[in-house]
Amino acid sequence: MPARAGRSQMNPDAHPAPDDTSVLAIEGLSTGIRLRKSDAGVVDGVDLRLRRGETLGLVGESGCGKSMTGLSVMGLLPPGGRVTAGSIKLAGQELVGLPEKHYQRIRGNEIAMIFQDPMTSLNPTKTIGDQVAEPVRLHRGASPKQARDRALEMLALVGIARPAERLGQYPHELSGGLRQRVMIAMALSCEPKVLIADEPTTALDVTVQAQVLRLLHDLKDRLGMAMLLITHDMGVIAQWADRVSVMYAGGIVESARTGDLFTGMRHPYAQALLACTPRLTQPREQALYSIPGSPPDLAHPPAGCRFAARCAHATDRCRTEEPVPAEERPGHTLACWNPVDGPLPATAPTAPLAPTAPTVAPPATAPADPAALEPLERPVGPVLAVDDLAREYAVGGSRLRAGRRGVKAVSGVSFEVAPDRTFGLVGESGCGKSTLARMIVALEKPSSGGVTALGAELGGLRGRGLRRHRRDLQMMFQDPFDALDPRMRIGAILREPFAAQGVGSAKEQLAAIRDLLDEVGLPHSVLERYPHEFSGGQRQRIALARALALNPHVIVADEPVSALDVSIRSQVLNLMRRLQAKHGLTYVVISHDLTVVRYLADTVGVMYLGKLVEVGSPDDIYLRAAHPYTAGLIAAIPEPDPAAGPPGDQDGMDAEMPSPFDPPSGCRFRTRCPRAQARCAEEEPVLRGFDPGHTAACHFPLREPRPAAAPVG
Amino acid sequence: MVQYVLRRLGTSAIVILGVSLITFLLLHGMSGSPGRAILGVQASAEAVAAFDREHGYDRSLAVQYLDYLGGLLHGDLGHSYKLNQSVNALLAENAGRTAMLSAVALLLAIAVAVPLGVFQAVKRNSVGDTVLTALTFVTYSMPVFLLAMLLIQFFAMGLGVLPAQAAQSSSDFVIFTEPRAMLLPVLTLTGVTVAMYSRYQRSAALDQLAQDYIRVARAKGLSMRLVLTRHLLRNACVPLVTLVGMSIPLLLAGNLVVESVFNYPGLGLLFFNGLNNQDYPVLLGYTLVAATLTVLGNLVADVLVAATDPRTRRA
Amino acid sequence: MTESVTDKPGGPAAPTARDGRGVRLPDTMSGWRLTAREFVQNRLAVSGLGIIVFFVLFCFAGPYLYVTDQVTVDPVSSLLAPGGGHPLGTDAQGFDVLGRIMLGGRASLQIGLFAALIATGIGTLYGTIAGLAGGVVDGFMMRVVDTLLSIPFLFIVLIVATRFSSTVLSLSLILGAFSWLAPARLVRAEVLTLRSRGFVAAATVMGATRARIVARHLIPNALGVVIVNITFQVADAIIAVSLLGFLGFGLNYPDVEWGTQLSAGVSYLLAGSWWLIYPVGGCLVLVVMAFNFVGDALRDSIDVRLRRR
Repeated sequence: MPARAGRSQMNPDAHPAPDDTSVLAIEGLSTGIRLRKSDAGVVDGVDLRLRRGETLGLVGESGCGKSMTGLSVMGLLPPGGRVTAGSIKLAGQELVGLPEKHYQRIRGNEIAMIFQDPMTSLNPTKTIGDQVAEPVRLHRGASPKQARDRALEMLALVGIARPAERLGQYPHELSGGLRQRVMIAMALSCEPKVLIADEPTTALDVTVQAQVLRLLHDLKDRLGMAMLLITHDMGVIAQWADRVSVMYAGGIVESARTGDLFTGMRHPYAQALLACTPRLTQPREQALYSIPGSPPDLAHPPAGCRFAARCAHATDRCRTEEPVPAEERPGHTLACWNPVDGPLPATAPTAPLAPTAPTVAPPATAPADPAALEPLERPVGPVLAVDDLAREYAVGGSRLRAGRRGVKAVSGVSFEVAPDRTFGLVGESGCGKSTLARMIVALEKPSSGGVTALGAELGGLRGRGLRRHRRDLQMMFQDPFDALDPRMRIGAILREPFAAQGVGSAKEQLAAIRDLLDEVGLPHSVLERYPHEFSGGQRQRIALARALALNPHVIVADEPVSALDVSIRSQVLNLMRRLQAKHGLTYVVISHDLTVVRYLADTVGVMYLGKLVEVGSPDDIYLRAAHPYTAGLIAAIPEPDPAAGPPGDQDGMDAEMPSPFDPPSGCRFRTRCPRAQARCAEEEPVLRGFDPGHTAACHFPLREPRPAAAPVG
Repeated sequence: MVQYVLRRLGTSAIVILGVSLITFLLLHGMSGSPGRAILGVQASAEAVAAFDREHGYDRSLAVQYLDYLGGLLHGDLGHSYKLNQSVNALLAENAGRTAMLSAVALLLAIAVAVPLGVFQAVKRNSVGDTVLTALTFVTYSMPVFLLAMLLIQFFAMGLGVLPAQAAQSSSDFVIFTEPRAMLLPVLTLTGVTVAMYSRYQRSAALDQLAQDYIRVARAKGLSMRLVLTRHLLRNACVPLVTLVGMSIPLLLAGNLVVESVFNYPGLGLLFFNGLNNQDYPVLLGYTLVAATLTVLGNLVADVLVAATDPRTRRA
Repeated sequence: MTESVTDKPGGPAAPTARDGRGVRLPDTMSGWRLTAREFVQNRLAVSGLGIIVFFVLFCFAGPYLYVTDQVTVDPVSSLLAPGGGHPLGTDAQGFDVLGRIMLGGRASLQIGLFAALIATGIGTLYGTIAGLAGGVVDGFMMRVVDTLLSIPFLFIVLIVATRFSSTVLSLSLILGAFSWLAPARLVRAEVLTLRSRGFVAAATVMGATRARIVARHLIPNALGVVIVNITFQVADAIIAVSLLGFLGFGLNYPDVEWGTQLSAGVSYLLAGSWWLIYPVGGCLVLVVMAFNFVGDALRDSIDVRLRRR
């Protein structure tokens, strides 16, 4: 790999800051990982400068090397990994090649790092107090008493209520958001000069994400640190980073001030990454922008620009000659032969409607045997009606106490979905949305209430009748790695629906399968391959093809794109929309991501702790929310626009979702609600009408309900 | 935690009840007619029937089981007609020596296997790890008696430094009073146990090393040594605690072989002689005791795990 | 006595090679072929397999090439040291030791394999039923397993063996009948895991019958675990039968297996007849180790495939 060390000297920063303000200076950093057969250059010639009090955002998709950059700085590369070239200077001290003994004095003391998953990052068998106190004991030589006091102080600093109580608790007793706060307290207990935050909020819910990022930002100012914020989310970058470096396939393609980058990016990848970041303001009629293809294999990097294969502006020069990073404008560097000029216009059609569509439009997924696959009589009313559905789980497996203690995963949810429409369901993790999805497709039996799909009550169907009815009611699963049997070839996976229903001859099945592959934009050659050979996006296409095989009327999609990178995500979402229009599908889309639901849904339902708290059209929900929870959820989404204010300023929700074991009395949201009053604890609110088709369950809504509206639900 | 212990006690009681049913059925099935077995083939049919009636062997199976269970509840494991002694007395006479041998070997094995496994995990694929892995693999693949024979051949016959037979004293503490004579039995039993535990400990430590919290501890600035002692060790020992509880049957089986090879007068030798005499009350009495020990061992292990790992403390 | 313990490789998972349109995919490779490739790359596994093949040939084909009389006792030529017409000497009855190792190995391998198949067969069926049934049935079935597991295996096998005259079949049956507990637990756990997997839910939603899900998804995916278990069970059973033989419950004259052979040699070890012990002991350890190697390697290669999912 070409060493790019010394580039910074050639292109000195135009606003040459005195060297002492650069707390961390990374120059020409290259890191390799030894794989079993080859070496992969996961970081290739990265330059970064981090000044005191500044947040530098490092943004890129998974596998681009951004985490490896952070771990290189910490000297904590995984086995087989090592820095192959370049320098990392912390306040003038070279870290590359520093003996382990000296490095230990720096880690946790002058540089600290917090990691993505707070659930696994704390030692399960040590108390919170011990773990937070540990760095102070180690680096400051504090006595147990001093360390405990410091831990207490830090827990209070990161906004943990009743810190003294928390000291003696174990990690599993804390929620994810609290654990991440503990991680932050631990990392900052020695007041480091540099904090590396590697996807600090990716594993958290959006409302908690806003709180944690705000906390990090405030603490950075307060302690005068520099922060390297590693993320895949352009929204997080726009709101919280002062400067940003965009990383692709191991190298930095563009660096600029955040405002400059968002308004005047020059690299096509930066442009594309922003364009496929979903926004709440995007017109729904328009297809989402997506980047075709997927990133290169770093064990065998292509010649020339690594983005060339996916770039709309690539020329022959891009494919043969590696672009040299150069300073475009003061403080704005770029590695590109054919720069673009600023972001894609938001209003103009951003991309061909279906960038992933196959060139030959195939005939409809013709049922192999029309007689056998004859659709059931299409009902006139709603295709799907969920009526007062509830599901409780006994806890601990002990039947003796089941009556006393149970998780109310879903309680009393009702809605209807009209033919060819999409019902979107949003909510934070643990709100019961996945349980609801599984009940709709009869994977789980409700405790009470029922689901009527295509004119039949699912609870009343048994054996053959249920199996036959399932043809019209298919599901897409969240984890594309889990949903395809690893031992089956794709051909067998796609044949399974036909075989399970006993439809068509082998020849007819094969023809139908080929049509399905055309539909989802995959070549026929995939039939002989196995699932592990495909990327997440491709697997989700296969899963979609399988769900379509029986020509269903309804598809329930549980987090269909949450496991995918943003550029791949829009490919799948566009495909889902296109197929809906073509086949007249009815969707129930479940997601924690409000932008996904907004793009797909005609009606949106917001779920909180097993209850539907608000239902309405996308405009009702996103523009005219009546329920404080909906409003808080929307406000927490970071807009990919530095001009928009950072989320969470309205200061809606402080706490996290209470345990579903023991939901609050009355309105379940009241413990987090800024508008809660005594009545909310006593009386459970019912759904009231606000606009036609817009209902919300709140005693003190943000808008006045329609006076005539009688309570519904 | 209290609730958890109580619940585990309940399931343990059920399991022991099940074991007693099995030992009863085996006792019944193996002995055939006890009267015939005891009085011999020459005895007349009338005499056998009279004996069976006198001792209640002609009643229905269920009644006999309840009778047996009643005896067990009063601590009566039955009577050895072959040795004409109560099984209780026979077991009590030998239990001390076996307990000493097994306990010493078990403690030694844990003391060796834990650091060994962690060392191998940290230095995985190094020369040291490879040599140790090979060594444990060979020991693991070797029947206990073969290891005993190799040790006898080398230390007793080759070097002539240790006796080939265990101490014959009837003292329970012979292991401490005549350590030289007990070294080979202890070494044998410890060897096979270490082979089993250290392989397991190595993989448990490897599992823990791959966890995020280890990286976090490193990121705090802890040296590898402190990471191991303060963070890894406790977590990596949790699975071993369970394994130790579950491996009591294997330990007792090893003890049986070692006692027969070294002629050490303990429960193992009693069992071995019982096999040759077809003395089923003794055999099944010891089996029942061993199974009860196993159940208790599992119970203690589970409680220990719950005490070590706060996540498993429920309710 | 050995017990199969989990030994997952703890190394970091190799980063998955990226694929996708525009980038050439590697040659297609099925799950089993991937397993086979991993396996072949493991030198220990290949040598383990080599040892097993060698011993199978040695024990089953050997006696036809190296013909010895293993029936007629010959006191004249008893306890001869290796050399001359007897490469490994003779034993106290005057049998040629090399020929006797072949004979004993045949029985040991047969018993090991039969017992393992019986145990794995029973265990797989039991575990599958428990895992599929769930609820009260599962709870009861697993309590039964707990109960049986708490009784020391060697004890119960020895007690039962006192009532049977030992033959290859009876020893296989006894060992198999009491060693199905571990595979039962293993298979049940695997079935429970598989049942919660997405592809099983997907098949249910398609309208697949329970039988179809078991046949097409559960069995093929659980097969790896079962096959790995068989190899460990063979190793365990060979050790167990050697223990029985050593304690005097092995095959009777003129049949022999390695444990009985070792037991008979012990008394002469003190007299210096090392050839009665070391060759057969070495063979026993080699074969057991070979099965353990193969089992470990198979498990690792199956793990690799799952990691690459």
